[in-house]
Amino acid sequence: MSSKATIYSFLFLGLAVTALLIVAPVVYAVSLSFYQMDSFVGAPRWVGLDNYARMLSQWIFWRALINGFIYAFGTIIFQVVLGIGFALVLNQVFPGRNIVRGLSILPYLLPTVVVVLTFKWMVDGSIGVLTQVIAALGLPPVQWFESPGAAMASVILVSVWMWTPFVTTTFLAALQTVPSSLYEAAKVDGTNAVQRFFHITLPMLKPILTVIVLLRAVWMFNKFDVIWLLTQGGPVGATEHLAILSYKQAFGQFDIGGGAAVATISFAILSVAVFIYFRLFPLDTE
Amino acid sequence: MAEVRLKQVRKAYGATVAVHGVDLDIRDGEFVVFLGPSGCGKSTTLRMVAGLEEITTGTVEIGGRDVTRLEPKDRNIAMVFQNYALYPHKTIYENLAFGLRMRRMDKAEIDRRVRSASVMLGLDPYLERKPKQLSGGQMQRVALGRALVRDPDVFLLDEPLSNLDAKLRVRMREEIARLHQEVGTSMIYVTHDQVEAMTLANRILIMRDGHVQQVGAPLEVYDRPANLFVAGFIGSPEMNLVEGHVSGRTVRCGDLQVGLPPDVEAGEGSAVVLGIRPEHVGVAESPGARPFQVSVIEQLGAQTLCIGEVDGVRLRVLMDRSDAISHGTTLPVQFRPDRLHVFLKETGARLNRAGAREGQRPAA
Ligand SMILES: Nc1ncnc2c1ncn2[C@@H]1O[C@H](COP(=O)(O)OP(=O)(O)O)[C@@H](O)[C@H]1O
Ligand SMILES: [Mg+2]
Repeated sequence: MSSKATIYSFLFLGLAVTALLIVAPVVYAVSLSFYQMDSFVGAPRWVGLDNYARMLSQWIFWRALINGFIYAFGTIIFQVVLGIGFALVLNQVFPGRNIVRGLSILPYLLPTVVVVLTFKWMVDGSIGVLTQVIAALGLPPVQWFESPGAAMASVILVSVWMWTPFVTTTFLAALQTVPSSLYEAAKVDGTNAVQRFFHITLPMLKPILTVIVLLRAVWMFNKFDVIWLLTQGGPVGATEHLAILSYKQAFGQFDIGGGAAVATISFAILSVAVFIYFRLFPLDTE
Repeated sequence: MAEVRLKQVRKAYGATVAVHGVDLDIRDGEFVVFLGPSGCGKSTTLRMVAGLEEITTGTVEIGGRDVTRLEPKDRNIAMVFQNYALYPHKTIYENLAFGLRMRRMDKAEIDRRVRSASVMLGLDPYLERKPKQLSGGQMQRVALGRALVRDPDVFLLDEPLSNLDAKLRVRMREEIARLHQEVGTSMIYVTHDQVEAMTLANRILIMRDGHVQQVGAPLEVYDRPANLFVAGFIGSPEMNLVEGHVSGRTVRCGDLQVGLPPDVEAGEGSAVVLGIRPEHVGVAESPGARPFQVSVIEQLGAQTLCIGEVDGVRLRVLMDRSDAISHGTTLPVQFRPDRLHVFLKETGARLNRAGAREGQRPAA
């Protein structure tokens, strides 16, 4: 085989794998949304846009959409702000810094199930650490998963706890790329630490930050496991977002077409959001 | 404008001492160059004056004010960095104005200063550009301008020309000299390049391994190097350093015998090092001249540098341009005692009491 043929065969192989593993499932999922289907074995029936019309006309869809935005924005804002804050702290020189830096990534390394079970254990009604602390402080007990507001706060809290280390680590790595002479020049120019953050750190790390926020946003918008394991979307739909709704529709209500329609809409919303995001924050400017 | 005073300024990183007690009084408007090989502590000393490096012991005064424990911003200094350290996301105008804006200066006054600095440095056409759209020389001008607009008590420059190519370096060197004449502010300039030091400085402070070796005007350190290190470091082409032993009023270096300068007292048999500048070797037929066998010739244009041997001693000899010399030529050379430097081999200390006299030295 000539080298050209080798290259093309690899290219073809790559495209084939991509098609098989990514494009095909997406096409299949999207196509499902145009059929009425109550199980994967029965014969599907073409219904056009009926599934969309039916889902969009239900208020649970809109509730899930709003919940999704609350969850995504809430987790992203806290992750990014806390993540940057921790990164700035870990970037200082202090004894034992390397150990603390290593430990800080820990929550990110734990499997979601472990994190969720740990949290459930911590807020257990009788033996939970947090329960005890709150009681000791004389505060009223928190209905972690029973009250709608607290349930949303709980899923956001656990998610932030799990994924803030990702932001911290990425940002910390990026901080090392800023030449120290820029900070020194700024010190001579009369800035304080806060001014240096806004005039040097933030503009220098804007491209990285743009990517971090985008990655986190896409992940959080589609995040399924944490919510499912913590609340399964409850109580009464308070933490149910589009991914949960889609799953429940398809596998709880045996409405596969409806579930596929929700997933497709979610995919479309995310695509548009990413497109707008890149228009607002282009990567190639300083 | 102000004088700067360093008293026993010392820097230790844990157990390693980077700078061992520097004492220096810089007069108002003086241009002082810190010179020495890489790692000798020049930058550390400069950064202690700037406040970017904590001073382990000792004090720094600027304009009669003890600034030892003050932040860089409270010292009224301006600094130029080797890698320029321009703010990449700000325009040139904003780069120049930033230090003034942070000090809440009046907008009109900022504009006046930025305009005047940009005229002085020829930056007018670039004010709206970003740093990465400029060449190295232009970026270095912006860095100078950023210091200039501040109108500080003292300018601190850390190897500002090291990132430029040779030609540009010479041009910027002249520009810095002109700038110093125009603004008259005290300057401390760090470099490892002795030519830069010789051409720019009012006074040079030479360092080695964190110790000050000598402080003096360029020609002073050239004519009277305080020790072997300075003798070898200052001057281009380098001074010839020849080991020998004192024998009566002469020094014996193998087969070569050279008369001791009158101002040198040295015990019989002491091990010394003779310092002979290449341009101080006399090339002329005369009684007592020794044959110098040329092996390498470097034509420098105005001058000719010959490398070869006399009585088994390797020597560099610099003379007026001579086209006729070739490999194997033998030249008559002689050494005038009043042009010789003598150092004690063991300590490197200078033994001449007066200076090696300045004669009609060809321009170095
Ligand atoms: N943060 C540091 N920790 C330990 N040693 C340092 C540190 N910074 C500089 N040094 C040491 O101090 C000495 C002087 O450095 P420096 O002032 O940068 O030299 P130069 O004359 O090349 O500017 C060097 O030997 C260097 O290794
Ligand atoms: Mg240095």
